[in-house]
Amino acid sequence: MENANQSLFRTIFGMMINPSGTIKNALLSTKWYFSVAISGLAFGLFFVQTGLDLYKTGQKSFGFVLLSGGTGILYGIVAIPLIGVLLWAILKMYKSDNDMKTTISSFCLSYSGALVYGILGILFSLVFGWKTSIAFGVTGVLWAIGPMIVGIREMTKGKNGMSIPIATVISGVVLLSWSIFGNL
Amino acid sequence: MKDKNKQTEINESGSSWKGFIHSLCFMAFGISAFSNPLDKLNLYNILYGVLVGLIFGMIFKFFLKGFLGLFNGKTKKEKGKRAIKTAVDNGMLFSVPFAVMLILATFVLNWSMTVAFISAGIMAVGTATAIEIGKVKGKQEIKNTILTSGMSFVFSFAWTLSYQYLVKAPPLIEGGIALIKTMMSNGGGIV
Repeated sequence: MENANQSLFRTIFGMMINPSGTIKNALLSTKWYFSVAISGLAFGLFFVQTGLDLYKTGQKSFGFVLLSGGTGILYGIVAIPLIGVLLWAILKMYKSDNDMKTTISSFCLSYSGALVYGILGILFSLVFGWKTSIAFGVTGVLWAIGPMIVGIREMTKGKNGMSIPIATVISGVVLLSWSIFGNL
Repeated sequence: MKDKNKQTEINESGSSWKGFIHSLCFMAFGISAFSNPLDKLNLYNILYGVLVGLIFGMIFKFFLKGFLGLFNGKTKKEKGKRAIKTAVDNGMLFSVPFAVMLILATFVLNWSMTVAFISAGIMAVGTATAIEIGKVKGKQEIKNTILTSGMSFVFSFAWTLSYQYLVKAPPLIEGGIALIKTMMSNGGGIV
């Protein structure tokens, strides 16, 4: 149990400090559902903060906060792994030998930083009453794009000519799907 | 010798393409950040955004190269002067996804939070440059990670801080030019 906790801690913070090395190590030991849970929680906390900001200004009810959280979790556990499948399909076209599970795991794990930002954002929102959806939520999700690009780069064996265009397409898909879910 | 020259030529040509892509990315940062929400295609805002983006990108690249060169003298001697430049050029390519996302967010989704995209993009460039330097040296060094992250943080902070002042300039420029045009069309005097 202690080892599991240590590994969880190392993986989450490692993705923030040294994404390249952490992806290589974490993929050997991390179960796919653990990675999906990270992206689910990260987006759940981000969407809850958006709901809380609107609740605080009296624009929305508390029910909306819960609905936002649910939508975020759904986005993190369904949409993000689906974009991971799209990434795997694109990599397959480039004759990459990564399997689907590894690709999805790596993609979802890149949201570890967003999860840390999400936890901090919720703390500041509930304890200090700050509006945190932009300062912590959006920053965390955008920050996660960096480790995601590093992950794609690792999966394309460091080829910038392949990894940068793929990362650009995937980032665009993440942004558009995020805006669609945010408007639900 | 001939092969070495040929390889240098290939590197030079790759480097100029990368430089062009970096310029486009920072132009996109500038155009999006200084776009007028009520008139997205305002020429003054676009030209001002291009200029500020290009200048900011050039200064960021210059400092990143300069400081990495300063703290990696041995690598420069062993691998040549171009090793640091290539690492920075490759690292700066990481700004491409952020530039595309920012253009989409500003001009398609009509979002206005450009600072978060640019800050995240600059920080990603720092991380990527540290990885690229590690590739050149054959090992990742905490010194370079701290250096590139620190440099990116300073520039990200500088952008956030200066933006609130710089954003006031395009309407002033547009107003000034309109005033000059009026004066000229009235034969040099304001009526």
